[in-house]
Amino acid sequence: MRLALALLLALVATAPAAYAAEEGGDFDAVHHTADGNYLDFLPFFKVELPRLFLIREADGSLGLAAFGSSTAAVASGRIAVEAHGAGHGDEAHPEGEGHAATGEHADEGQEGGAVQDVAEESLAELQEVPEAPAPYDSHLVATNGAEIVVDFSPTRHLLFALAGMFILCLLFLPMAGKYKKGIGRETAPRGVLQNMLETLVVYIRDEVARPNLGDKTGKYLPYLLTVFFFILTCNLLGLVPFGATATSNISITAVLAIATFIVTQFAGTKDYWGHIFNPPGVPAFVKPILIPVEFLGIFTKPFALAIRLFANLTAGHLVILNLIGIIFIITETFGTGAGIGTAIPATLMVLFVYGLEVLVAFIQAYVFTILSALFIGMATAEHEHDHDHSEDHGLTHHDLAVAGANGQTPHKLHERTVGTEVAMTA
Amino acid sequence: MDPLALGYIAAGLGAGLVALGAGLGIGRLASSALEGSARQPEAAGDIRTTMIIAAALIEGVALFGLVVCILMALRAPVGA
Repeated sequence: MRLALALLLALVATAPAAYAAEEGGDFDAVHHTADGNYLDFLPFFKVELPRLFLIREADGSLGLAAFGSSTAAVASGRIAVEAHGAGHGDEAHPEGEGHAATGEHADEGQEGGAVQDVAEESLAELQEVPEAPAPYDSHLVATNGAEIVVDFSPTRHLLFALAGMFILCLLFLPMAGKYKKGIGRETAPRGVLQNMLETLVVYIRDEVARPNLGDKTGKYLPYLLTVFFFILTCNLLGLVPFGATATSNISITAVLAIATFIVTQFAGTKDYWGHIFNPPGVPAFVKPILIPVEFLGIFTKPFALAIRLFANLTAGHLVILNLIGIIFIITETFGTGAGIGTAIPATLMVLFVYGLEVLVAFIQAYVFTILSALFIGMATAEHEHDHDHSEDHGLTHHDLAVAGANGQTPHKLHERTVGTEVAMTA
Repeated sequence: MDPLALGYIAAGLGAGLVALGAGLGIGRLASSALEGSARQPEAAGDIRTTMIIAAALIEGVALFGLVVCILMALRAPVGA
């Protein structure tokens, strides 16, 4: 048994090296974190995902074409791998027209194309003739005068987002059933799972939602909890072996941000719109400057949400892959001995960054949720412009919310001890 | 000098400057927050929440800059 384990470990340890050697030492970090049409079980195998295209035939009719895999699609003869050189210069050629018409998927394709272009061109500079890329790695085009209008193919990131949803249902539906029966409401929560998740749910309710949303917490809490747990699950799925991070795909983070955007706009009160289009207490000559800024602010907030989540999750994985890549670069340049010497500190660094990634997975889920709560809270807040009584007494929204929840009159939770340091030094 | 090379240098320098700015900003934020919660430990919870929000906003601006750099590096017409 122990021997078998040792053999397995040896296999796992040597296989990536063998793979890298086979590829001629290429280590394409960007490609690994990018979206793709296969599930990555390297060094063992790859599972190709089905492809689904909306194709406009040569005679102008539209039709759906489904294939079991990219390889099958190419084998069928209706789809071909785009020839080298033809796809280059997406920007220069008006070839982008077809892309522009296809919307979101076109962007993905273009981005992937740009990354691939860079990789291919740098290879060409090194005078290395790359082998023809596998069908799942390359840009596919339709043959016989037909044209791919939309690529509906499910990708790795989509599958992992669905896996995240499935896991959430698996965890939370039984838990919801328990609460319906009264376990956790009338009695203490039972079982490890319920205790663990209730801690998180209560934390989000009391520390994230309530300070920002006040008495409207109940209305928006389900959305915030859903977003928090979905992002957390997707982030953590990316840290599992063979996993992919769905949240490192700009499309998925954009959809999440758009959800927050829509909720915020529908939550908006008269005050919210008033502050944007007719800011009170502002001199008339400032308004022409302020109103466009405020108006843009509506859109930059969710945009920042999407970019933040995307960049944080992508950057972490790239750092890990680059640290592993250093080992191979050093081996190529200085020989095997130096490579082994580099491997030890590099592996330790990777472990450290991996630990950091776990932290980032939680922090980014938390940040997305708290910022969503903040934006919704800002939209729902009803201001009193003359004077805010609660502020006068040094009460925060948190104090008011806690007091409201406990059915007491508000009182100061935290003694504001201004001037303590003077007393201490005296 | 090849103008394209200058473009790549710009992207790299930009990324470095973005990291510098964000690091300075978040560093100052964290130092002030630590100081605040050391002076008044009862307010540590409130300060932490506010700090994370502010850090996220600083980070957001930094990431905007980073995205511009990435676009500059990736969208440059390679070998043109």
